[in-house]
Amino acid sequence: MSDLRFFDPHIHCTSRTTDDFEAMAKAGVRAVIEPAFWLGQPRTTVGSFLDYFSSLVGWERFRASQFGIAHFCAIGLNSKEANNEGLAKEVLELLPRFALKEGVVAIGEIGYDEITAAEERAYQWQLDFARRHDMVVMVHSPHRDKKNGIRRSIAVAKECGVPMHKLVIDHNNEETVQDVLDAGAWPAFTIYPFTKMGSERMVEILRKYGPERLIVDSSADWGVSDPLSVPRTAALMLERGIDPAWVRRATWQNALDAYAQSGQIDVARLLETPTIDQSQLFHDNSVLRGQAPRVQTARAQGVPN
Amino acid sequence: MDGSLGIRDPQGRAGQGGAAAAVEWISRALDRRLAATAAAFRTSARAEVRAGADLTRFLSLISLCSRYVPASALEASSDELADAAARVEGWWPERWSLRDLARVELVLSRPDLDDASGPAALEEAFQTADLGEAVAMYRSLALWPRPERLARRGAEGARNNVRAIFEAAVCDSAFAVRCFDDVAWRQCVIKALFVEAPLWRVHGLDGRLDAEIARMALDLAEERRSAGRHIAPQLWMCLGAHGGERGLRALLAQLDTPGAVGRGAAALALGRLAPALRVQVDFDARIARELDPAVRDALGRARGGVVPSNAFRPFDGPVPKVT
Repeated sequence: MSDLRFFDPHIHCTSRTTDDFEAMAKAGVRAVIEPAFWLGQPRTTVGSFLDYFSSLVGWERFRASQFGIAHFCAIGLNSKEANNEGLAKEVLELLPRFALKEGVVAIGEIGYDEITAAEERAYQWQLDFARRHDMVVMVHSPHRDKKNGIRRSIAVAKECGVPMHKLVIDHNNEETVQDVLDAGAWPAFTIYPFTKMGSERMVEILRKYGPERLIVDSSADWGVSDPLSVPRTAALMLERGIDPAWVRRATWQNALDAYAQSGQIDVARLLETPTIDQSQLFHDNSVLRGQAPRVQTARAQGVPN
Repeated sequence: MDGSLGIRDPQGRAGQGGAAAAVEWISRALDRRLAATAAAFRTSARAEVRAGADLTRFLSLISLCSRYVPASALEASSDELADAAARVEGWWPERWSLRDLARVELVLSRPDLDDASGPAALEEAFQTADLGEAVAMYRSLALWPRPERLARRGAEGARNNVRAIFEAAVCDSAFAVRCFDDVAWRQCVIKALFVEAPLWRVHGLDGRLDAEIARMALDLAEERRSAGRHIAPQLWMCLGAHGGERGLRALLAQLDTPGAVGRGAAALALGRLAPALRVQVDFDARIARELDPAVRDALGRARGGVVPSNAFRPFDGPVPKVT
């Protein structure tokens, strides 16, 4: 276990404390992607979005780096806030100022929440932007009417000319994974404690469908969620007899392959042992006290679901 | 306070001359170093900015530098560095990356640097800058014509907790010492101690140290000592010639602590005190009983009474990495 390194390609670091970063680093999480999302209650002005996007490419990246975690992000207008159309228009105008920055690996997380016309307009605009700039797209699939929502997400992406190998559909379950695989897109699975998709079920999905394009993530955010979902699920997979090569693909390589298409990930550097630049810390805010994070054996019990 | 950072020129040409001279240096440095693809991007981007690209396009070009120009070290020769310092007082781009150079060249290629719209565009750029972009733009401030117009933005950089940004705003030029108001200046000196930025790289530091900074530094030293916490070695540099009796006592106390780094810095700082205080130090006796050779050397130097701020160079931490 200590040799494995993990990629969590969907986590909202802005909602997480440094306790989480420490735990993640210890457990072997080496890289994360933080997609733009809502903050739990709706934003009311474009300035909130601007400062949030700014934090994704600035402060959050810096924060993660202090724990030896490479932080990438996705920029986009999420489905919930697409329904405030006046505000949505202003936010879409902001996207070009952020989406082309270093370390932005995708447009995301975009898609449907209730499958409204306003959501679809924002989704299409961003798919078009992604196509024009040859970017990967991270799609948030709705939790209500999910199967239909995913089918529609894929169909609309195809209409907008986004190539399927650049489309990641997240929050899949047993009912939706086949559609995503058939389309040639990447099915990602968010492992939540107690709700939605859990570790045990993920093990069986991997066993059934094999490692092709399957991605595991935590979507850890401001709600009940687990930033160690990926290493914990990996440990459970191994314990339950899944081929270690499969585990590595589902919890590291597939995410890397999908998002390295952006050209923004220095793969060689990710494979190095992380160095924490001590000079970036100052003594009254130092958390590490000089030690480097060590990878510890994660207990093989997964995330209870 | 004269805010111009222009060429050391007997005719006293103002900042405008400095900006043009800096751009010339930067352009030559890039000409020498960029590979074909990067050079092509840089040439066309610079042409667009010179022709008056709109704000969104300007910001995109700054961002896109990350795709074309590597963030590798500049590796300027000592001749190049000497030339830079001759063009703009205190300018020392030794730590700049190639990408910084390309970005600064774009900023300084704007046709409206002297108008209100130039600094306004820069402010807009700072609203959405990532760390690498912010570092480059802070580095550019010293090279603008009439850089005192950008003092508030510079002071904002000096409030930043990310060491690379702090250093970009404050080090390797005379910008801070020339353009910050008293409050911003004193705060940035003390902040440097918190982020452990190399204060000696603030060009002209010694000329603007004062009793108030010394007081703030000594208060901080006491706070740290009471808490049993680390005292940044550079703190002792801040006393300059203004430490007074209180400073002398604090330095002598520091000389009695076990850490050689702290002792070495305190030893050097003794050499910067006013002569009437320095003469009270028993240098010979201390040198004789000092076990650490570096501290012995520092005491010897202090005894001579000539200790500029760059003597504190050995106390630097590692160079912060930001692309």
